[in-house]
Amino acid sequence: MTALAPHSLDYRQQAPEVAARFERIKQRPVILSVKDLKKTFGQNGSTRTVFDGVSLDIHRREFITVIGPSGCGKSTFIRIIAGLDECNGGVALLDGKNIGEPGPDRGMVFQGYTLFPWLTVKRNVMFGIEMRGKGKFVAEAEARQWLEMVGLSKFEDAYPHELSGGMKQRVAIARALANEPRILIMDEPFGALDAQTRAQMQSYLLQIWRKVDITILFITHDLEEAAYVSDRILVMGTNPGRVVEFIENPIPRPRSPAQFVSPEYLALKMRLEELIHPPVEVEEDKLPVVKMTSAGDDVE
Amino acid sequence: MAQRDWLGLKQELPANRRLVLTVLSFLTPLILWTAVSYVPWLWHPLVHITAPGDVDYFVEDMEVPKADFAKELAKVQAAGGELPQGERVNPVYLPAPHKVARAFYTAFTTEPRLPNEPWLHESLSHSIRTICWGFLISSIFGLPLGILCGTYRFFSRLQEPFIEFFRYLPAPAFGALCVAILGIDDGPKIAIIFIGTFFQQVLVISNTVRKVDPALIEAAQTLGAKGWKLMRRVVIPASISDIYTDMRILLGWAWTYLIVAEVVGTMSGITYFINQQARYRNFDNVYAAIFMIGIIGFTSDLFLAWIGRIIFPWKRRSGSPSKLGAWFAKLLPKKPAPAVPVEA
Repeated sequence: MTALAPHSLDYRQQAPEVAARFERIKQRPVILSVKDLKKTFGQNGSTRTVFDGVSLDIHRREFITVIGPSGCGKSTFIRIIAGLDECNGGVALLDGKNIGEPGPDRGMVFQGYTLFPWLTVKRNVMFGIEMRGKGKFVAEAEARQWLEMVGLSKFEDAYPHELSGGMKQRVAIARALANEPRILIMDEPFGALDAQTRAQMQSYLLQIWRKVDITILFITHDLEEAAYVSDRILVMGTNPGRVVEFIENPIPRPRSPAQFVSPEYLALKMRLEELIHPPVEVEEDKLPVVKMTSAGDDVE
Repeated sequence: MAQRDWLGLKQELPANRRLVLTVLSFLTPLILWTAVSYVPWLWHPLVHITAPGDVDYFVEDMEVPKADFAKELAKVQAAGGELPQGERVNPVYLPAPHKVARAFYTAFTTEPRLPNEPWLHESLSHSIRTICWGFLISSIFGLPLGILCGTYRFFSRLQEPFIEFFRYLPAPAFGALCVAILGIDDGPKIAIIFIGTFFQQVLVISNTVRKVDPALIEAAQTLGAKGWKLMRRVVIPASISDIYTDMRILLGWAWTYLIVAEVVGTMSGITYFINQQARYRNFDNVYAAIFMIGIIGFTSDLFLAWIGRIIFPWKRRSGSPSKLGAWFAKLLPKKPAPAVPVEA
């Protein structure tokens, strides 16, 4: 009955175990706290607001996705959290301390992999560990563990150009996790992958997240991806960039692709569709019809 | 795919066709040269007199233009005297391939005419020494400066405008100045090669370093790299293979300054050899010496390219992990994954 009429289910309605889980999450310490963050571009004369008034608290081991149409400033937002850009107002605290320059406490996974092409897979993962001042031998042992975690032990001596896109991104995840960051920031990490690999990688990431004590801030423009992986979804709007809604994901864990037809999933997806693709007037009917050739019968 | 056109627009050719064309690119000029040298009715504008006959000014071994010979021949025929004899030859400055080929060997074995003249191998090694010093000194300064300019806008702004101006000043123009300052021996020659190389080097290398993908630098920053470590562990390795290619090209440029450099002060090296041989009209030796410069430059570049493929394995598109690395990997023990607390 519910499967046939998903609209009847409200996306805010949570099963008892889901509600209980959110209660527990809220008990956990806050890792990242953002208040009224603001970013503008341009000098005094003509400034353009990228986003304004973005606030959120991320608790330990929470999986947050940020979603929004292009131009809402979601990438700029996480670049500020990573320390790669500066904000023009508001505060961002990591463990209660102001975030500053980029550092190993905020691991980052980019859409373009950004593996170091001159280093082997193992050496890529060792990079951050060595930067923290650990010796080569220790770094190598730790890098091996992380490569095992992402299932790439066999490729430790390969160079990045020898790997597929999905494998590269797994190395990038291992490299970021090897620094034992407080938060893992992922900027559309699977955006460059084909649909099939992307689905695999989402499940992979959830597996890794179950095994490792890590808080994740995940940017995407794919709302199905956001619904599949997240605990909470920060939906951003554009012109200017702002928070539209902060949704608690009602889909119970553990997640699996079988849930893609569950009423909670459909209700959530419906809501996300509404927020991100607001209904526009369909212009299709007004377009002129050009007849090329007759197929002999009516093509509908 | 094997049926593709030889002239497919922007299409890569199969390996065997590439080889054929490479061989052909060398063979075509060689065939032309051979044809002009050995086919008597192709060009051959002079007549080499073997018997002067009754022409007053003809002597044996003299070479006269074809038209003059015909005129004199007709005159003697009309007068009924002894006919001059000769064969058509090319001018002395176009020796036949076999003569030049032989000169590749004999130029090394022929004793110099003057007592203080160097042997060919001495001339060549003198030239190579001059190039190497000029390029080395240029690189000692140019390489670090180029990397600094490419990395920091501060150095780029501080250095590049002047260098940009200076590189338009032709290096040979400094010849007289270099001799006045550095004397007439090797100093000014090395200085000319330095001037010709250094300024280009700084600009080319700084441009290469500037092209390092900023995303790699950002990724390194989020992994905790900063300052000098960021430079040493990311900026330099990210650009080093391209810098290496730049250096190969710059070394080629340095060769083009060699001849100019060697006429500054006392003429030396291969330029001296070429000049002397031209004076003695040993044009086969002249050609051989010119080709030797080409061969030395070309093979050293091929050699450096080969070295480059070895030391930059990530640039090899089909590389495999080294056997040694795999062997070491087996030696090290595997540890269990880190323990995991807190519910997911």
